Amino acid sequence: MTTIHQNARDVILAKLREKKIPQPEQFPLPDVVTLGDLDASPKRFEDNLLRMGGSLWPREEGESLEEAVRRKFPDVKICSATDEFKASFKITDLRSLKEANLVDVMVVRSPFGIAEMGAIFLSEKELSDHLADVHLAQHLIVLLSKSDLTANMHTAYQEREEFKSAAYGVLMSGPSATADIQGVLIRGAQGVRSLTVIWTD
Amino acid sequence: MSVKPVAHAHEGAKFLEEKAHYHFHDERLWDVRQKRDQEMHILPEWQELRQKASEIKEHTLANLPEYLEQFEKNAKANGIYVHWARDGEEHNRLVNEILQSHHAKSLIKSKSMITDECEMREYLEPQGITVTETDLGERIQQLDNQLPSHVVLPAVQKLTGDVAALFAKHYNTDPNDNDPHSLTEAQRQAARPIILNADAGMTGGNFLVAETGSFVVCTNEGNADLSANVTGLHIATLGIERIVPRMSDLGVFIRLLSRSALGSPITQYTTHFRKPKKNGEMHIILVDNGRSDRLAMDDFWSSLKCIRCGACMNTCPVYRRSGGQSYGAVYSGPIGAIIDPTFNKTKYSTLPFASTLNGSCTNVCPVKINIHEQIFKWRRVLVEEHEIPFVKKEIMKMAGRLLASPRLYRAAIKGTNVALSTMPRFILYNYLNPWGKHRELPHPVKQTFNSWYRQNRLKSAQKQSEKGGQVQ
Repeated sequence: MTTIHQNARDVILAKLREKKIPQPEQFPLPDVVTLGDLDASPKRFEDNLLRMGGSLWPREEGESLEEAVRRKFPDVKICSATDEFKASFKITDLRSLKEANLVDVMVVRSPFGIAEMGAIFLSEKELSDHLADVHLAQHLIVLLSKSDLTANMHTAYQEREEFKSAAYGVLMSGPSATADIQGVLIRGAQGVRSLTVIWTD
Repeated sequence: MSVKPVAHAHEGAKFLEEKAHYHFHDERLWDVRQKRDQEMHILPEWQELRQKASEIKEHTLANLPEYLEQFEKNAKANGIYVHWARDGEEHNRLVNEILQSHHAKSLIKSKSMITDECEMREYLEPQGITVTETDLGERIQQLDNQLPSHVVLPAVQKLTGDVAALFAKHYNTDPNDNDPHSLTEAQRQAARPIILNADAGMTGGNFLVAETGSFVVCTNEGNADLSANVTGLHIATLGIERIVPRMSDLGVFIRLLSRSALGSPITQYTTHFRKPKKNGEMHIILVDNGRSDRLAMDDFWSSLKCIRCGACMNTCPVYRRSGGQSYGAVYSGPIGAIIDPTFNKTKYSTLPFASTLNGSCTNVCPVKINIHEQIFKWRRVLVEEHEIPFVKKEIMKMAGRLLASPRLYRAAIKGTNVALSTMPRFILYNYLNPWGKHRELPHPVKQTFNSWYRQNRLKSAQKQSEKGGQVQ
């Protein structure tokens, strides 16, 4: 098995070395760019999150996170992936996909958001290696700090070390969506049906 | 073995007869194109982004072997198995070996057109492996035994009623259901058990990053995240041209991709895979399948810059009116017309002629591929290599002679005008005149410009030039 693959690799690389038309000296590597709007305000993040089909949930005066979430999702099975949020069970308690499939609401903490896209980031660290469980849950609540926003995709990739250190890193801009049937936009195609951000500061 | 050229014009004509489908198709894609324009106008840096994207891709392609080696080294260090496949068959064999070694019988798959290119499903199914598409559009096409119709919107040629009929047959839903919401929900409910019970997951990928040995998958449904993570085995298949040098380069591409594709700022999910998940196994297959050959083609190598956004398809008047199925290929539309002939020159010889050469595809391309110029260049190659039908070739030869001689040309114009005004339709509109199949020939004119000029201006112009003056 190994020899066949080794062979394919060497054949492909040799062919590329021998025959490719574009020559390295004609095409230097461009500098890294930071273009566009550098506004990293919560307002810009919120506008784009709403545009992507996500939502924001305000906390009322003196209300705890648990109370706020319960106000939005009363009487359902809530699972927490963060110590900040007390739920009847934690993501680390989930023993199988079938259990994860029964979760109504998953609460997670995101280490940063991108204002340009209304996107939040999650990796194996925040999910305690339960990568599939967050996508099997029906609804997602994301805890995010206003001070953890970066302006746009350029600044995100340049500033956030997670892109180079995480094993799995997903940017989510709102819930799962599709428009595959006659162009009608529908939230909740395969993954979470809704994504709601709660500011924690 | 002789291969028949795809009957694009014939299939396109059939699509045009289905009025409701054709109108929806045309309008839906034009709507997406307009949304892309709105996004472009919001960003003053749009043209600079395109320029950068093009430069990064050109640089990478010029240094492709080095970047692939860098990627391989880093991915391996991250614990990923890296495989190489020269062609589709080798790719399929590899996938089968990996699945067999895990005793995996069911594979859930997130959109990756490269596996269609390799005809992977056709290979795996006789080996007893069930392959299920998880993307809704792709699943619709799978149930209907059709290739994807569009690189981003695989089932865009279908109306709700078509999906209802299909789901009624496969999912026992109401055949008269005309609500996309309940049909989408039916698919979600049907897919979940398959996903939960799968043995292995497969994804395609949009970008390979050499610097980190990671790869990026962009979806709106989150199906790649499910496919990759529900089992302990994730196989990812990507073409060797998908690579970019640095993580920071992704800023340019992610900002362009979904805006060009659907007019949305970003896909709902942009997922970066760098290492296998805990206790899991990750395999990447780097597929050549004709790409290295294309990189050695002077006129066509830059088509490898393509990031598969589909913007060229959405803007193309021919694609919008003929439908993706008429191309008879994995990749349709303008980009298909330039990359398909590199897979099979005879089979796809008709596709470069499915274009008005209006240049709109080139104008919207986020990585600045000169698509319409390559379409034109393909026509020349195909004519030189006799890959076009006899009638078209002979007519072109005659036209060439005619256009090269002003005297002949003027005589012909005169004759044509007489013919147009006097000949019966059945002589003018026959198989020797494919142009007249879908449109009327121009009305004959009373006088050509040339004869008008001779009558009214020639003498005064000659006088002017004798005096050394300029003709106004």
